[in-house]
Amino acid sequence: MNKKKVTIAVSTLTLLAVVWIGFVTFSPNQENPGMVRFLSLSEIQTVKENERIRLGGLVYPGSILISEKNQLECNFRLKQGEHSIPVLFTGTRPDLFKDDAEVIVEGNYIDGAFVADQLQTKCASRFEGELRNEASYNTESI
Amino acid sequence: MTPVLGSISLSLALGVAFISILLFSLFLKKSDYRFFIAGWRATVVVSALTILATLILLYELLLSNFDISYVAHYTSLETPTFYKITALWAGQSGSLLFWLFILSVYTLIVLYQYRNSYSKLMPWIIIVLVFVQIFFLILVNIVENPFMPTDADFVVINGNGLNPLLQNLTMAIHPPTLYLGYVGFTIPFAFAIAALVTKETGSVWIRSIRRWTLIAWLFQSGGIILGGWWAYQELGWGGYWAWDPVENASFMPWLTGTAFLHSIIIQEKKGLLKTWNMVLILVTFTLCIFGTFLTRSGVMSSVHAFAVSNLGPIFIVFIVIILVICIYLIISRLPYLKSEKRIESFTSRESGFLLNNVIFITICFAVFWGTIFPVLSEAVSGDKITVGAPFFNRVNIPIGLMLLFFTGVGPLLAWRRTSKDAFIRNFSIPIISGIAIFIVCLIFGIRNTTLISFPLTAFVFTAILIEFQRGINSRVTRFDESFLKALQTLIARNRSRYGGYIAHLGIVFMFIGFSGQAFDTELEFALKKGDSKIFDGYSFELVSIDPVERPNHIAWIAGINVWNLEKHLVTTLYPEKRVYFHLDPNPEKRQPHSELDIHTTIYKDIYSIFSGVDIEKQIAYLKIMINRLVYWVWFGGYVLIIGTMISLWPAKEY
Repeated sequence: MNKKKVTIAVSTLTLLAVVWIGFVTFSPNQENPGMVRFLSLSEIQTVKENERIRLGGLVYPGSILISEKNQLECNFRLKQGEHSIPVLFTGTRPDLFKDDAEVIVEGNYIDGAFVADQLQTKCASRFEGELRNEASYNTESI
Repeated sequence: MTPVLGSISLSLALGVAFISILLFSLFLKKSDYRFFIAGWRATVVVSALTILATLILLYELLLSNFDISYVAHYTSLETPTFYKITALWAGQSGSLLFWLFILSVYTLIVLYQYRNSYSKLMPWIIIVLVFVQIFFLILVNIVENPFMPTDADFVVINGNGLNPLLQNLTMAIHPPTLYLGYVGFTIPFAFAIAALVTKETGSVWIRSIRRWTLIAWLFQSGGIILGGWWAYQELGWGGYWAWDPVENASFMPWLTGTAFLHSIIIQEKKGLLKTWNMVLILVTFTLCIFGTFLTRSGVMSSVHAFAVSNLGPIFIVFIVIILVICIYLIISRLPYLKSEKRIESFTSRESGFLLNNVIFITICFAVFWGTIFPVLSEAVSGDKITVGAPFFNRVNIPIGLMLLFFTGVGPLLAWRRTSKDAFIRNFSIPIISGIAIFIVCLIFGIRNTTLISFPLTAFVFTAILIEFQRGINSRVTRFDESFLKALQTLIARNRSRYGGYIAHLGIVFMFIGFSGQAFDTELEFALKKGDSKIFDGYSFELVSIDPVERPNHIAWIAGINVWNLEKHLVTTLYPEKRVYFHLDPNPEKRQPHSELDIHTTIYKDIYSIFSGVDIEKQIAYLKIMINRLVYWVWFGGYVLIIGTMISLWPAKEY
């Protein structure tokens, strides 16, 4: 077996690999492509029908409403600068979800509201608040 | 006083590092051995100063000296001592210092390992190591100094404390393990560059770094598995791998490192693929730096990402420098990297190794593509796109299954070429067992990817067993040994080979675990105390919701009896809903946290999350997941680690 054959074999395989990755990336009509657009609220009118999108922003303080009947259902407003949009989410909320939390939601934009099936809070391994100007609550309040 | 000492040692280390480079340059120019000795000592000083600085930061963390910003941000008076230690790598600047600390320890080991055996490679190896140290020293001295004083305009009496999610034993070990892997690849990288510069590209450098590469690879694998384990136990989304940019960042050098580990075997044995091996190790190191960059710069949004920082440009400059040097060196040394022999046949083990490499690189490229696609897409079309797990799974499942298949095929191929007879002899039993499992799967009505993956795992598993059985049989007949004795000596005398096979077994078990995902189910529901809910073959009965107060948090504990349909009690699960810092006067600082509970068997995990509680109505909101075969992922991980350790263990002289 000469060097040429090896080169041909390896390049064929490489080509196949590239074609495959390209196909998965750009093939249309996928039900759940894993690739979704990350939009800002000012661009939300560009959403195509049934398109899954992602939005990022802050939770509008005081806007979290948890359904009395089902605690898994929750409404809140997502704020991006001056824009904001109502979001409906059903499911387990992340522990860090609260007023002013930085969140990312994924789902569909339907009639002016966003129905999310995914809700993530940012930075689970980050815990970098401002320092407290007060003594330890443990030593004082217990 | 002491914090200043830490800062000073870091600055001194940077200065001495430059002096050390200068001394080595003088040595290379004048060939005066005294310059080499001086440079060697200077490098010891650099490493010692860095280690000293790390110990000082550790000391300050233990003392809770909140005058240092880092200490105030990542620990509080209530932080348990153990987690005060782990806070060393909890934040940005500390973790950079920790990177440097590990590099310095490794550097010292290399310096002492080779102190009496000077080779032409040595000065260059040290120069490369010091060069990398300089980069990180610049970071911790100028950009992110861990000894920065607190900038608050008041006296900080208590610090912020460590994130409760990180107060977990696995989380304490996962980052340092991964770091030991990331940083470990610096050593083979240094040897590779030294070999290129000195044109000593034979098998000498390859042999010296086999063990170093394995050590780095062992830690990298262990770190990745621990990360998955932690995510599964703590994060409460029921999975262990999300194809998050930072996970990908640790996976990519692992892939190229694995390819490298395999292809150096043929360079050692056959003198083939020299250029390729160089490329692989250089790429692996670059990916390690790239990984650190992804984690630390905040370029990608990720659960792992730390604060957005100004580290990005510096890292990119460093990566570009490395790439330029590597590409220049490889191109200019191409004549010295010619293969001594060539591949003789497609059915040879050599070509098996080559194929294995192509597959690993393909997976690595697919992961890389998916990770940077958002950046590319935004640059080209202006669309911000996020790439999620479905993309990575879809791309990688077929390639991964091919890899699994060749894990079985490779070891059964003979060097140079495999004869037809040997082909039939070696492959018939594995193929039959694969087909048998395929039929069993068909009968059980399995129609998803596992219809392919289960038969493949059976095929590979049998192939590996046959490899062991052949070795054992020949010992039993030749030396009249008992079965167990034969197995023991077989492994002891060919540690790297049979250790490798055991690692392959680990991979097979892990694939069984990955396949189980296809059968996972989940349900979210509300349950009143006393009621029960039937789901996926089990009945979940809520028996209690108990509040408990502990030193730094309060918890509601749900007691859930899990019955199977034959009315036998399977287990009682106690997931918790906790609130940390519950006594803090500022409600903003209180942090809810769900502590899940998992019932594990080798078939399935019953995974319970306590999402919310309505105390007045005595209702618990629960999420239950039935995750199939997850146990095998961890079990395979253990086997992989054990196999690698066997490979690593120094062989006895017979």
